[in-house]
Amino acid sequence: MMLEDELTVSTRERDGVAIIDLVGDVTTFAEEKINAAYREVTNNGARFVLLNFRQNDYINSAGIAILIGIVTEVNRNNQKLAVSGLSQHFQKIFRMVGLAQYAEIYQNEDEALVGLQKG
Amino acid sequence: MSNPLNNSMDLSFPSELGYEVIARDAVSAFARRLGLSAERVEDLKTALSEACINAIEHGNSLRPDLRVFIHCHLEPDRLVIEVIDQGATEFVARDNVLSISEKIAGLGSLRGMGLMLISQLCDESSFVPGPEGNCMRLAFSR
Amino acid sequence: MSDETSQPERPEKVIELRLPSKLGYERVAMDTASSLARRMGFSNDRVDSLKTAISEAVTNAIEHGNQQDAAMKVVVLLTARKDGLVVSVADQGCKPLAQGSTTSSPTIEEAFERDDKGGWGIWLIRELMDEVEFSTAPSGGNQVRMVIHLE
Repeated sequence: MMLEDELTVSTRERDGVAIIDLVGDVTTFAEEKINAAYREVTNNGARFVLLNFRQNDYINSAGIAILIGIVTEVNRNNQKLAVSGLSQHFQKIFRMVGLAQYAEIYQNEDEALVGLQKG
Repeated sequence: MSNPLNNSMDLSFPSELGYEVIARDAVSAFARRLGLSAERVEDLKTALSEACINAIEHGNSLRPDLRVFIHCHLEPDRLVIEVIDQGATEFVARDNVLSISEKIAGLGSLRGMGLMLISQLCDESSFVPGPEGNCMRLAFSR
Repeated sequence: MSDETSQPERPEKVIELRLPSKLGYERVAMDTASSLARRMGFSNDRVDSLKTAISEAVTNAIEHGNQQDAAMKVVVLLTARKDGLVVSVADQGCKPLAQGSTTSSPTIEEAFERDDKGGWGIWLIRELMDEVEFSTAPSGGNQVRMVIHLE
C-alpha cells in the first residue's frame, strides 16, 4: 500500500462564493479530484470560486499544471477565481508562474470572500 | 509490488555523529510513504538513530573516513532496515541485554542503553552476518 | 557535524540516496535534503526553495529518465560544503532530455493554449537554485547538479 492519496478535496458555499477546500499535497495524483470539484461547483452555477489551501506543504509543477487548467476553464466560463491559505513559499511560486495574475492571492478565506466580490 | 526492489531504498553517509539525524529523517519519510503509522514511525526514528550511533561510534570506531550504509525494503507485512558499518571493530554479542534496573544498579555500562532501546522498539532486531562489517537488522510490522 | 578546520584534507562529505522510480518517493529526497539544509543553517525560505527544486529534479528522473520503471533507481547525492549545499540527481536514463527543455521559459499565456499545461519543472529549478547544470552521465542517464549558497 502506498499513500498516494494525500489530498482531501471538498466543496461548500459561503456568501455566494463556491469554496473548494484543498487539504494536503497538490501533485499529479490530485488531478481528478480537483477537476471534479471544479466541475461540480460550475454545474451548480458558481460565479465566484475560491481555492482554499490548507496544509499544502507540497505543491509541485504537476499540481501547478492542474491549476492552470482550472484558470483556463474559469476564463472560458467567465467566472472569477481567487486562492487563499497558501504558504509564503507557494505564494511566491504562484507569482513566479503567473497564476497570481489570474487568481488573486489572499492570506485567508475571510479576506478572499470580501475581495472576490468587490471588483 | 512483486519485485521487492521496487520498494527498496539505499542510503549511505559519512561515519560522523550528526549524520544519524539526517538518516533518521530519510528513513522515516520512506516509512511514512509505505504506510507505517505515526507511532511506529516515532519508534523507528529512535531505534534507527541508536543503530546509526552504534555503527558510527562502535563499528566504525569514530573514523570519519568510513561510511555507514542503510538498506530498507518492504516485506509483505513489515519494513526491514539494515544498518551496516565497515567493521573497524567487530561487534561482540552479549547473551543478555541488561535491564534498566540492572543498569541503574551500576551493572554494565550506560552506553549499552542504545541496544536495549532498539530491542524494545522494534518487532525484531538482530545482528546478521554481512560481507564486511557489522549488520544490524531492524524490523517493524505494519 | 562540520569540523573541517581541524582536518582540512578530509574528503567531501556526501550523503547518497538511491530511490525507486515511483512517484511519491521524491518526498524522501525532499525530507532528507531539508533535514540536512536546516542543520546547515539555511533559512526556512531557502529550505522551501530547495525542497521544490529537488522534488522537480527527482520527479523528472522518475517520470522522464526512468520512465516510471520502479526497478530503476534515482541517485541523489547531497554534499554539505562550508559555503553551500550541492545536490546532484541522476537517473539511469533511457530517455535524454529534449533539446531546449533545459533552457526554455514557459509563460502561463502560452500554457492556456496547450493541452498539456505542464513544463514548469526545470524552469522552477533554474529560478530557485543559485547554480544549475544539466549533463549526461557516462552511462547515458540524465544528471542535474544544483547548488544553493549559504549567505
